[in-house]
Amino acid sequence: MKAFDTVVVGAGVIGSSVAYHLAKKGLNVAVIERGDIASGTSSSCDASLLICDKKPGIDTKLGYESIMLYKKYAQEFSYDFEFAQRGSIYVCETEQELEVAREYAKAQADDGYPMRMMDKHEIHEVEPNLADDLVGGIWTECDASATPMAVAFAFIEEAKKLGAKVFTQCPIKGIKLDEKGHVEAAITDKGEIKTKRIINCAGVWSPEVGKMVGIDIPIKPRQGQILITERTFNIVNRKIQEFGYMLSKFEDVNYTRKVSELVEKHNVAFVIEPTLSDNCIVGSCREFVGYDRKNDIEVMQALAERAIRFVPILKDVNVIRAYAGLRPWVVDHLPIVSGVEEVPGFYIAAGHEGDGISMAAITGKLMSQIVVGEETDFNIDKLSFSRFKKAKTATN
Amino acid sequence: MIKKEVVVIGGGPSGLAAAIEAAQRGAEVLVVDSNLKAGGQLFKQIHKFFGSSAHRSGTRGIDIGTELLEEAEKYGVEIWLNSVAIGLFQEKKIAVERGLDVEDKKLEIIEAEKIVIASGASENAVRFKGWTLPGVMGAGAAQTMINVNRVLPGERILMIGSGNVGLIVSYQLMQAGADVVALVEAAPKIGGYGVHASKITRAGVPIYTKHTVIEARGDKRVEEAVICELDEKWQPVAGTEKTLKVDTIAIAAGLKPLVELAVMHGCECIFDPLLGGWVPLHDKNMESTYPGIYVVGDIAGIEEANTALEEGKLAGIAIAEALDYISSEEAKKLKDETWERLKGLRMGPFGEKRMLAKEQLLAAAEAAKGSAEEHQIAASAGA
Repeated sequence: MKAFDTVVVGAGVIGSSVAYHLAKKGLNVAVIERGDIASGTSSSCDASLLICDKKPGIDTKLGYESIMLYKKYAQEFSYDFEFAQRGSIYVCETEQELEVAREYAKAQADDGYPMRMMDKHEIHEVEPNLADDLVGGIWTECDASATPMAVAFAFIEEAKKLGAKVFTQCPIKGIKLDEKGHVEAAITDKGEIKTKRIINCAGVWSPEVGKMVGIDIPIKPRQGQILITERTFNIVNRKIQEFGYMLSKFEDVNYTRKVSELVEKHNVAFVIEPTLSDNCIVGSCREFVGYDRKNDIEVMQALAERAIRFVPILKDVNVIRAYAGLRPWVVDHLPIVSGVEEVPGFYIAAGHEGDGISMAAITGKLMSQIVVGEETDFNIDKLSFSRFKKAKTATN
Repeated sequence: MIKKEVVVIGGGPSGLAAAIEAAQRGAEVLVVDSNLKAGGQLFKQIHKFFGSSAHRSGTRGIDIGTELLEEAEKYGVEIWLNSVAIGLFQEKKIAVERGLDVEDKKLEIIEAEKIVIASGASENAVRFKGWTLPGVMGAGAAQTMINVNRVLPGERILMIGSGNVGLIVSYQLMQAGADVVALVEAAPKIGGYGVHASKITRAGVPIYTKHTVIEARGDKRVEEAVICELDEKWQPVAGTEKTLKVDTIAIAAGLKPLVELAVMHGCECIFDPLLGGWVPLHDKNMESTYPGIYVVGDIAGIEEANTALEEGKLAGIAIAEALDYISSEEAKKLKDETWERLKGLRMGPFGEKRMLAKEQLLAAAEAAKGSAEEHQIAASAGA
């Protein structure tokens, strides 16, 4: 195998986007992928491009900038990744939730994001199948959706047009460094690729790639399960999520949802979104179970129970499929988009947990700016790999 | 959650045989079946069984079905009808959706000590232009319609495939009052037994060998079928197209094992075209690579009802032995007898190929077991 300016490891949504943006900068790019394009997390997730579930600040900024890029790419790319901007609703079950929601929406609106409150009547007007007793919610106009696998295919397609080479069924076996500790080559079982730069976009598997250059990447797989319903009429028109879940996760608010033991045990939060063919994608949950990608019937029941509480009509709808995916979890819930000081030529774009699809576009763009040494669109110090070293030193 | 000693998924011949064997030796057995009546495909087999040395040759499928259901009742086998096993979860948990209507549907989770998967097979499709039009169906589906539901699927029928299923179903469709316009067969020779083929040709139905269907035409359903000749490389020969006025195209292109439940629980599979495709590995007790999960009948490789019955018995005996209802000496005697009968059934031109395929599968299962044990030894040595 010949030499490339840059080797991207992993062809999920992140790797695909990184490859495209690097190729756009004029670099000679190879993508190496253990399985196939979008065969890991990107094929077992939901389809959201959201800011409504992000924390104010950099988290929301990444989400927003990414949606803007997707909107542009939907016009430019030849492969249709089914981009649809239909807004999203965060629904509230209680007055107490509504109160916190107001503060949250206000903070985001003050930062200039299109978020506002909807009252009881308004949410039922736009989503007539929501349970009658829900008290209101947050409306986020810019939120959108896209089909994750198609997003990866679209980026790969465009990257190829710009000369990128994609090698699937080609796992990375090791990384060669020169005497100065600089990246020299990627070793695969199809041969060695000479390169000065390797971008680790291997998601939940990125710690394995990190070990090849002796660094410890603190990403852990966090499993999420999803149900797909049969094709029906439009049950919902856009992404809908429950606000109480987010609330119960805020460290500074003392709030417990009134949910069944089953829902609590499996950390289930209601989310739903329609597909273009009128199925519903129903989720979700987050559990640390290692690299297990199997569904569990109890979790599936909890997902269904919670979904029926918010959209009662789902009681009469069949589930035709279920799957589990692994989200790359990082302790501060921010991705790593950065170079690695200790290993010149080694970069990481991984750790987006449940926001990989949302943030893939902007991640690719930022990474390409880092690699060619340009100033990034905005400050992303918080995404640096060195933040973990600092945290360690601080605790020591 | 319900706990059961033995759960059999699928109440066809192999599933019922496994249930009866285990239950008559004292095990508590539940059979879950998705249909209105247990018996699998037996109740649509109104013809007499055939085969060189089959011990049931001359008996009709429906009679075997009735016998099995009587025996199951006698030994106290519990049967849930209208119950679909929607998934197998760790650790040996079966999710079963009970009930027909949305209103009374209920999900039951059963934890079983031993599970027998007797899920059977599904019909292979043949893809051609217009193949999704109403009126294109599996030959097995057409057979169910006439023999079980007493509904004629159409009046003018084109049958694809001349194996025994294609031949028998064609004849039964004629008996039921349909007009079978033609059979097409891609191979140069008729696939099934001559005795079945001659019944059809005697009635004046043409069997076109080296032919295939290339298109179904029609507005809302099938109105015409286009067939054509195939060359030595199985490619359509231009200019040989014939248009037939038919309203139904029945496809008898073989079956493939329904392995999803086994795969879901981590049973290892191999691919063998002679057995119908992906098949779970199993040992001589019909136990899969996952301890306590057994596979019998068509899921363990496509064969026929008699071999399915014997495989079911093997699993039932092995389960009774594993649960200590019978001694290993008694189990060995019973299993040896069953294997003898199975060998008898797997003779003749069709049987021998399958016997060979089955032997390869057994060897692969042994090898898989061996490496798993080595793994365990290595792991415990490491610890």
